[in-house]
Amino acid sequence: MSSVMGMPVARSSEGPWRLGWRRLRRDHVAMWSLAITLLFIFIMLASYTGLIARNWNAEVAASYAEPTFDKVTNTDIHSPIGIQRPEAGPPVDISDIDPLAPRYQEWRERTAKIQAVQAAQAVRLPLGADQWGHDVLAKTIKGSEISITVGIVAALLAVFVGTALGALAGYFGGWIDTLLEWLYNVLTSLPYILLILAVAAVFSRGFTTIIMILGLTGWTGIYRLIRAEYLKHTDRAYVRAAQALGASHASRMFRHILPNVSHVILVQFSQNVVGFIKAEVILSFLGLGVPVDMVSWGTILAETQEELVLGKWWQLVAAGGSMAILVTAISMLTDAMRDALDPKLQE
Amino acid sequence: MNLSTFVMRRLLHMIPTLLGVMLLIFVLFNWVGGDPAYILAGKISDPKQIENIRTQLGVNQPYWVQFWIFIKQVCTFDFGRSWATNELVSDVLLTRVVPTLTIMVPVLLLETILAVLFAVLVAYVRGTLTDRMVMLGCTVAMSISFLVYIIVCQWLFGFKLGWFPVQGWSDSFITNLVRYAPLPILLAVMVDLAPSLRLYRSFVLDEMNHDYVRTARAKGLSENTVMLKHVLRNAAIPILTNVGIALPGLFVGSFLLEVFFSIPGLGREVVESVNRSDFPVMKAITVYLAVLTMLTNLLVDVLYRWVDPRVAFK
Amino acid sequence: MQNRPLPSRLFCRNDAAMAQPALIKTFAAMLLSATCWLAAGSAFAQDAQPLKVLRTSFRVAETGFDCQRLSDVYSNDVCAQIFDTPLEYDYLARPSKLVPSLLREVPVPEQGGLVYTFRFKPGIYFAADEAFKGVKREIVAADLEYSIKRLVDPAMSSPNSWQVDDRIVGLDELAAKAKKDGKFDYQAKVAGLQLLDRYTLKITLKKPDFNFLYVFAMPTLTPLAHEVIEYYKDDITAHPVGSGPFKLVQWVRRSKIVLERNPEYREEKLDTTYANPNDEWDREVVKSIAGKKLPLLDRIEIYPIEAEQPRFLAFINGEHDLLPETPPSYAAQVMPNGKLSPTLAAQHVRAFVELQPELTYDSFNLDDPVVGGYDAQHVALRRAMAMGFNRGQEISIIRRNSAMAAQSPIAPGIVGYDPTFTAVDQDYAPARAKALLDTYGYVDRDGDGYREQPDGSPLSIEYKISSGGLSYLMLSQLWEKSMRAIGIRLNIVTVQFGDLIRDQKVGKFQLTGAAWIADYPDAQNFLQLFYGPNTGSSNNARFRLSAFDKLYEQAIAMPDSAERNALYREMNRYILAYVPWKLGVHRSYIHLMRPWVKGFKKHPMYHSRFKYLDIDAVAQQAGHQ
Repeated sequence: MSSVMGMPVARSSEGPWRLGWRRLRRDHVAMWSLAITLLFIFIMLASYTGLIARNWNAEVAASYAEPTFDKVTNTDIHSPIGIQRPEAGPPVDISDIDPLAPRYQEWRERTAKIQAVQAAQAVRLPLGADQWGHDVLAKTIKGSEISITVGIVAALLAVFVGTALGALAGYFGGWIDTLLEWLYNVLTSLPYILLILAVAAVFSRGFTTIIMILGLTGWTGIYRLIRAEYLKHTDRAYVRAAQALGASHASRMFRHILPNVSHVILVQFSQNVVGFIKAEVILSFLGLGVPVDMVSWGTILAETQEELVLGKWWQLVAAGGSMAILVTAISMLTDAMRDALDPKLQE
Repeated sequence: MNLSTFVMRRLLHMIPTLLGVMLLIFVLFNWVGGDPAYILAGKISDPKQIENIRTQLGVNQPYWVQFWIFIKQVCTFDFGRSWATNELVSDVLLTRVVPTLTIMVPVLLLETILAVLFAVLVAYVRGTLTDRMVMLGCTVAMSISFLVYIIVCQWLFGFKLGWFPVQGWSDSFITNLVRYAPLPILLAVMVDLAPSLRLYRSFVLDEMNHDYVRTARAKGLSENTVMLKHVLRNAAIPILTNVGIALPGLFVGSFLLEVFFSIPGLGREVVESVNRSDFPVMKAITVYLAVLTMLTNLLVDVLYRWVDPRVAFK
Repeated sequence: MQNRPLPSRLFCRNDAAMAQPALIKTFAAMLLSATCWLAAGSAFAQDAQPLKVLRTSFRVAETGFDCQRLSDVYSNDVCAQIFDTPLEYDYLARPSKLVPSLLREVPVPEQGGLVYTFRFKPGIYFAADEAFKGVKREIVAADLEYSIKRLVDPAMSSPNSWQVDDRIVGLDELAAKAKKDGKFDYQAKVAGLQLLDRYTLKITLKKPDFNFLYVFAMPTLTPLAHEVIEYYKDDITAHPVGSGPFKLVQWVRRSKIVLERNPEYREEKLDTTYANPNDEWDREVVKSIAGKKLPLLDRIEIYPIEAEQPRFLAFINGEHDLLPETPPSYAAQVMPNGKLSPTLAAQHVRAFVELQPELTYDSFNLDDPVVGGYDAQHVALRRAMAMGFNRGQEISIIRRNSAMAAQSPIAPGIVGYDPTFTAVDQDYAPARAKALLDTYGYVDRDGDGYREQPDGSPLSIEYKISSGGLSYLMLSQLWEKSMRAIGIRLNIVTVQFGDLIRDQKVGKFQLTGAAWIADYPDAQNFLQLFYGPNTGSSNNARFRLSAFDKLYEQAIAMPDSAERNALYREMNRYILAYVPWKLGVHRSYIHLMRPWVKGFKKHPMYHSRFKYLDIDAVAQQAGHQ
């Protein structure tokens, strides 16, 4: 821009996001939190693509092997197995009534050709092994994948539903608002645990189920906030101006108002992620968690109930610790983001 | 408008909400509630018996008949007997609510008092290292799952150190309060303190940013007077609002605590009634909690407007 | 708690000197009387016997004490302490032996097992209750007749009616008539229930049944006083009134059950006829309680605690005296390498290891098009799945080695159990499983790691478990891993508990897990789970094999004998061949008790037998210091 009539050149005013980011950069704690969060996400992606922890499901060590930096192999021989039968006789013969008898010979021949299982590799177990002999470190890494994904996707769902409904209620008001208020009241009057169990009963245990449960029960908080924001903004001058210029409802709601409330949404999203990662633990404890062939921090912690009294602390420390670190990092980042983006704190 | 009109209008608004709750739970149960007849029929049963049980429970009738019965039950607050144990549902609620409250009321009191106390103390030293360390501590405390707290604390304080009984409940209120409740109460306060402290600190700090605080200081009042007489009184409003929001949750309690510490409370009852498909108990607890939630919200709103004269009844 | 009577001032007189000033006089008087009071009180306390209180726990909560209406093990257990049954199992005899309790003798089967005559002992009374309005109520034969009728009353919808359904002449017809009329006529005469006199009931059966008497050792078929039922009506589950050794004095649902001694209990002592001098537990029982009037305990406090850690810690911490069924997770801690841990041994804790008469299993649905069927191809699929399942890991990791691999569906300690019967066709053998699947055409054609059906269509099997709680979770994890290792896709499906029970009964499943504990100590109780006509009632596998059914019908008409055992062996062979079940394990439990608990010997058919237990109260109080 060239100077006109000798006045100094004005710099283009920075948007709230750029301002926010600059303030955030100056906060050391926030930067560390961001780094830690990104690290976890990176580990999660590495795990997802199979770069690490691919064989978390392999039984590489004896049951409840202790944490050690030495290499160990699976020395669990599983014998003597259980209670013995001292009076056991010779195996009973069922060949005279067995429908499979005609092809016994073929069966025997094929059995002989099946190769034996390879010898187990030696592995390092810095975090010990669980009751099946799985490497706890691998499990924890793999578990982060599920827990973080559940947290993020469920939070996205909750934020999406809450924002959409909140925008409708706050913008249109009238009977739409009354209807949504009624829905909100009904849902918040039910005990949370009942709602969870009800949604869980609709869908069978599964990955999408957890996301559904958390997302469909967790939207009420953000709904309230977004509704309040939209109530505030709908009557503002800039919206009226847009209306005068012929902008449609949808355009006004989403092109004009939404960017101005996006900082609220971001902070809420972040809080929801934290809340849902923690809630997944409770769901797993209740038996409503991820399917049995997957592992998440929740399923690991649910297993630790019995282990502490037995003196096996490594799963508790591994999963509990990882979760604590990540959740702390995200929480501190959220706080910093809120402070950085809050227009009231503009200097 | 005046107080009585406000209350009347709110009470009237409660009716469609209550109907909505009833409809929701009715639909949920009939859709996904599980079939109680088979649980009651036992190990060895035949279809004839199952039919018999279903007739007795009344689930054979058409839906609108069942819903009409439900409405009558809500009006008379008599939900009949539990399908699983044949106990009067009103007895179930009354006996279960006492243990839950024995835990939750002390938790709320302790946690609010401590959170306010620490919030004020921390606000005194805002911005310093102490403040940041306390906040960091809160954040870390909040990041640990409740389940982990319970497992570790029950093992540590109950078992390893032996300071408290590991679990249990008695019929004497005093014994409960003195012997069995302390560990669960301690746990719950530990977990709830951190988020409350953070919140109340932000309320107090918000207040301290207002002009009247600067005026008070300029007038020469000591920091103590400023904090306690002015800031705290004004911060009390959002704090009380927050407490009011937590009130309905008091009655359902924490089912995790109740399961691990064998406390025969309402939270545990909810989970068990769902697992046993015990519809009368589920219905009763839901309706009771919904009504309680709405009434406490109303109470809080009335108190709020009474305390803060700037806010009008709308 | 009993209130102690206030000590009376027996031993002191107030001899304070009259010459002293009034105030000092009064003060001295007070001091003196206080001292006398205390002295008398402590002397009294030392003279009085401390109460014998046993504190124990249940691992599953009870539901109520109307044992005709409810069928869960723990409610039944409490009923067994409150009600006397016509017959009971001798405390010491192994294998289990029926002996008379309310009856004069064990009825002998007449007319080839068609008729049984029950002769009650006179002079046995129900415990006092307000329903009797002050009258001392004797137990008579008509009470048993009433109880049998009540069991089949359609208004009861009793889950236990199978105990007499289709057995007694004329009873089912009366029940059907009651269903039509809407009300059961208790006065109507039933041809199969004849009252010969005040104390004698003659029961006539439709078909010969040599196992009929076992149901009379269960608290469901105990004489009931109709006055009590009519007085309490719907509240009857909280007011069990029997003639047994204990009474219910306090009940906080799912939290606390308190029983106290019934002061009017009849004269009874331990019967040592069947005591085995070579068994250390028998010796201890005889030494502790022989010759003493039962029951010995004053009070029993039972705490249902379903979570494992708190229940276990309650015993370790000394809050409980007895820990029945130590949670299996702690078995290795309590008895490492099969011997009691040094910590517990130092406290003189005793451990009774019991192999319960039960087994766990996974049931196939023989009507399902994918896993069911009696042709070689489908039998091969089931056999391969059974052999692919890593039972060794189940036993060592899930059951912590406290289990015995089941060789047949009959549990140990049961009449008809053959300890020599060894089945290899259910042992873990993944190579054989894979070979078998290859042989019958279940191969992986599309290279995704999972086999398809012989006709090329995808193969995916559902394992159904309950969504509430983690009980079957580890087992389902093991199933999924084992099946993946042999190339079979297994999906774990969770449903609500009520729906699971329903799905299992109506055959809406492919594979599901379950367990069965003996109701009575005869193999028939287990084998009836495979009897074709029982499909829909107890035969959840829907197994219908005519060869098996013929053998079953022959066996139930015979008393215990070598011939019947041969039939049982044949039936077991068919079960191994056609694989309606993947046999699981018989679980063993450790029962722990403090050294002051005496007279304990766990009976396989009872969960608790409190009338035979004793507490050394002095040792118990000392133990708490």
